Amino acid sequence: MLKVTVRNLVAHKVRLALTAFAVVLGVAFVAGTLVFTDTMSRQFDQLFSKTGKDVAVQVRPKKVVEAEEGAAAPTVPASLLPAIGRVPGVARVHGGVGGFAAVVGKNGKVVGGSGAPQLGVDWNPADKDFPMKAGRGPVGPGEVAIDDRTAAKSGLRVGDRTRIVVQGPPQTVTVVGIVDSGNLMGATITAFDQRTAQRLLLKPGRFSDITVAARKGVSETALRDRIQRVLPSSDYEAITGTKMRDENKSEVGRIMSFIRTFLLVFAVISIFVGAFIIFNTFSMLVAQRSRELALLRAVGASRRQVTRAVLGEAIGVGFVGSTVGLGAGVGLALLLRQLFNAIGAEFDGGLTFTYKPVLWSYAVGMVVTVVAAYFPARRAAKIPPVAAMRDDVAMPQRSLRIRVVIGSLVTAAGAVLAGLGLGGSGLAWLGIGLGLVFLGVAMLAPVIARPVVKVLGAAYPRVFRTPGRLAKQNALRNPRRTAATASALMIGLALVSGINVMSASAKASISRQVDKSFAADYIVSATARVFSPAEPAQAVRAVPGVEQVTALYSGRFTVGSKAETFAATERPDDLKRAARLSLVSGSAELGGDGLLVDEPTAASAHLQVGSTIGVRFPDGKTASVRVAGVYAKNPLVGSRVLALPAYLAHTDRPTGNGLMINVTKSDAATKRGIEKALSAYPDLKVQDQSDVKKSVQQGVDQFVTLLTVLLALSIVIAALGIINTLALSVIERTREIGLLRAIGTSRRQTRRMIRLESVLIALFGAVLGIGIGVVFGIGVQRAVSDQGVNVLSVPVPTLVGYVVLAAVIGVLAALWPAWRASRMDVLKAIAFE
Amino acid sequence: MTDIPSPVAGGPPGPVLAAPAARADRIVKEYGRGDTKVVALNEVSVDLPAGRFTAIMGPSGSGKSTLMHCMAALDSVDSGRVFIGDVDLTRLDDKRLTRLRRDRIGFVFQAFNLVPTLTALENITLPLDIAGRKPDQAWLDTVIDTIGLRDRLTHRPGELSGGQQQRVACARALVGRPEIIFADEPTGNLDSRSGTEVLSFLRNAVREMGQTVVMVTHDPVAAAYSDLVLFLADGRLVDEMSDPTAEKVLERMKGFELPGVGVR
Ligand SMILES: Nc1ncnc2c1ncn2[C@@H]1O[C@H](COP(=O)(O)OP(=O)(O)OP(=O)(O)O)[C@@H](O)[C@H]1O
Ligand SMILES: [Mg+2]
Repeated sequence: MLKVTVRNLVAHKVRLALTAFAVVLGVAFVAGTLVFTDTMSRQFDQLFSKTGKDVAVQVRPKKVVEAEEGAAAPTVPASLLPAIGRVPGVARVHGGVGGFAAVVGKNGKVVGGSGAPQLGVDWNPADKDFPMKAGRGPVGPGEVAIDDRTAAKSGLRVGDRTRIVVQGPPQTVTVVGIVDSGNLMGATITAFDQRTAQRLLLKPGRFSDITVAARKGVSETALRDRIQRVLPSSDYEAITGTKMRDENKSEVGRIMSFIRTFLLVFAVISIFVGAFIIFNTFSMLVAQRSRELALLRAVGASRRQVTRAVLGEAIGVGFVGSTVGLGAGVGLALLLRQLFNAIGAEFDGGLTFTYKPVLWSYAVGMVVTVVAAYFPARRAAKIPPVAAMRDDVAMPQRSLRIRVVIGSLVTAAGAVLAGLGLGGSGLAWLGIGLGLVFLGVAMLAPVIARPVVKVLGAAYPRVFRTPGRLAKQNALRNPRRTAATASALMIGLALVSGINVMSASAKASISRQVDKSFAADYIVSATARVFSPAEPAQAVRAVPGVEQVTALYSGRFTVGSKAETFAATERPDDLKRAARLSLVSGSAELGGDGLLVDEPTAASAHLQVGSTIGVRFPDGKTASVRVAGVYAKNPLVGSRVLALPAYLAHTDRPTGNGLMINVTKSDAATKRGIEKALSAYPDLKVQDQSDVKKSVQQGVDQFVTLLTVLLALSIVIAALGIINTLALSVIERTREIGLLRAIGTSRRQTRRMIRLESVLIALFGAVLGIGIGVVFGIGVQRAVSDQGVNVLSVPVPTLVGYVVLAAVIGVLAALWPAWRASRMDVLKAIAFE
Repeated sequence: MTDIPSPVAGGPPGPVLAAPAARADRIVKEYGRGDTKVVALNEVSVDLPAGRFTAIMGPSGSGKSTLMHCMAALDSVDSGRVFIGDVDLTRLDDKRLTRLRRDRIGFVFQAFNLVPTLTALENITLPLDIAGRKPDQAWLDTVIDTIGLRDRLTHRPGELSGGQQQRVACARALVGRPEIIFADEPTGNLDSRSGTEVLSFLRNAVREMGQTVVMVTHDPVAAAYSDLVLFLADGRLVDEMSDPTAEKVLERMKGFELPGVGVR
């Protein structure tokens, strides 16, 4: 039987190559993702194995409240230094400073950002992690050292003067040194002398952490325990250097695994689509060879042998597909690296290869192929031996009724799971549910195909005459085949159109939210997300025409065990104008310990004016705050507003994320005035209402584009499926096409017939896909409507665009099969047997 | 299609008409090369008279199908010339050949004559539909009544018997009023009763409508329906017989089945 398998693989090279190609694309996606993330991980590992390699013990504040992104983390007091220094076994002790500092380049623009950190640190002459490349270390205010990559990007050299953006007024400095940092993956480092670093990045007398180098022969753990004993309060903890380095790495590992999972989701989608194609191809091959298979059975082959012969072909296809896919995956990894480098990451050096991508590529490619071919193979075994004697062989097929029942059940189960997933049971459920919905609809598709294709092709006979009529009937002829081919396209289009419904809804919601709550004429925000708003606010107040400037600080505290975000501002009363804050009860006079909460918070925590609650701040201190008022839900302000003095008392560096500016007359001159007043802060930008809308919507659009690009591969695979189905159909209909040609159908008409059939299949897939996508999008919008996406928007023009796209895919996919059909040798086609 | 002489004008068969409907002039057709070379047609010249029912007979492999294919614009010849009316097929490109087949030639094959997705009626009018022509309703009715399948017009081929399918194929060949109809063993797959249906139909088309029909057959009884039998052997035209009867044809065939001559 092996001979039969091999002969068939050889005989059907082209069709199997197309099938293998579907495997190749899916496997390439998996392999590419794995190789790329391995490469990334290793580069980060290298980076982190360099930093802090001499640290034996680190003393740091215990995390009570996770600080808001970009905001100052809690600190340790310098007063701990002497006590730690006296612990036996300590060789050196150093107070480290870390915070936000960004370099302004020669062109006046801030260097770096967009995901990678912009670090400000203290210069530690004893630290040998990064050797000096040029110049010297900074020794006083107004001096900095920067890393060589940043130097290259900014165009700065030793001796140049520039500005450094910190959370506070920008500093004018001289670059006195450049360190050899190696690849920092896009991060920038600015080093100040210790005192200046404390002043600019934290607070005088505070450190981010204290690191300790051990004497020879003293173990990290022993030293850690000794140091832990001299720490004055439970607010601080000592950890070993190994643990510190591991935590750094695992943080990167977390990000890596997120990226990996994100990409793999799309790889899985591609493979899922590919499985449809493999299934369909094998079904068709088996149907076409039913005579031959029946003959095998007639001469004594057992069912098992027939199944094995077909599965053997699948293994062959899977193996070839996986091998080529693995190779293509390496190419894809290079492409991904290029892509990430284009958006600011800095990968260099070669790719990292481990055994894992190889293992996964073969596992995924072979298993998927064999599983997808299993059902056709089993059906092949059911062909009765007498079929060899008959002229027209009908494949044994299960009745459509059973299919409808199972399909409906699977679809319903999938919908329920997806619903649970949306309801908060986790994204995995949503994914599994959607997968089941796709499977279920694919099972129902042959039943749906008849009416839908009839409607879609209703105008065909009239518009395209005979080729149109034949095309329509060919599409209807084998609904299972049409359905399976269309289903592959359905998946990609369902996801893309679902995402479009979601993004359109998100954009519409944002737009409405901005209209509703955005009462300021201008808003000032920082590229680094958070900044110190006090000084810029002061600068803007002096601009003629500016009436009111509201600096919005943000912070966190815990209530019970839950971390909550709050806003704070100098005169909370101003929020009434700047953010359309409307008080329901109480007053906006907060004094030193007042708190405003919004209605939903008040209701859920049973708060009213006069209640007091105990909170704990990131510095570890607890305080009691008094509810002074309740306001209507306000997305701009958030759910809590705390008295500014209470906030300032518990934070080293007050930061916020915006200034809201109201002016007498909102015109270009006023905006220019504000921009001029802020020219010292290159990281701040001034936006009016429509700018804000636009920039948020741009963000959404970029994300949608990214997702669409990643889903495009699955659509390409679906197009391959259409090519495959049509090519096989053409071969199957050789005689019929020959007959049509013999009685005078021109080549053009033959091509048109195939093309129209292809378009019809593609349109059917689009209708199914967009239908599911819209339902799915609406479901998601409903599920997250209380998180701000409260407007439903179905982007009809975009969806119509996808229908057109599907038709174009149909036309393109038909090019080759149509060409083959039109070139068919008339005589061969009509030859009897 | 004004250049097509109306086949209806034929009238009762008389002696050979002046202009043949199709003509082969010393055509040669070879397959393969070197050792495997087969000369399927060796300088064959034939005139297929208009308004007549011509049968082509001969042992298997004698080149009957090849001759038909070459004369019906389905295949090209290696040398010699083929005329349909006064058009030289050897000078036409694929596009013109396709159009010629569509407008001037009808076909009936041994099997697989019909498009399975179309109804009987749709199959009958298919050549006209492809050409974008409207069928002549009166003529269509005549043809349908002649095949006697008026009540089966909406059926698909799968729902018709073999004889009915072949009659539908004949109707399809007739409906465009082609100058000539070629049929390659149209009854080869049928039992004798269905075969008789088809043969009577073809003969009637010749007698009553003046149609020109050329048919390949192995069956002396089928050949007896024709006006003229051409005998092929080894790629050559070896004999012809007017007003054949089954007995005369059988007698003649026996002559070929002597040792040394291609035997079926
Ligand atoms: N495509 C081809 N390639 C090679 N040889 C061919 C081909 N078609 C026909 N032949 C050869 O040409 C010769 C004539 O074939 P043809 O089909 O015309 O015979 P026939 O008279 O129709 O036979 P039958 O009565 O069996 O149908 C045969 O020897 C055949 O083997
Ligand atoms: Mg033959």
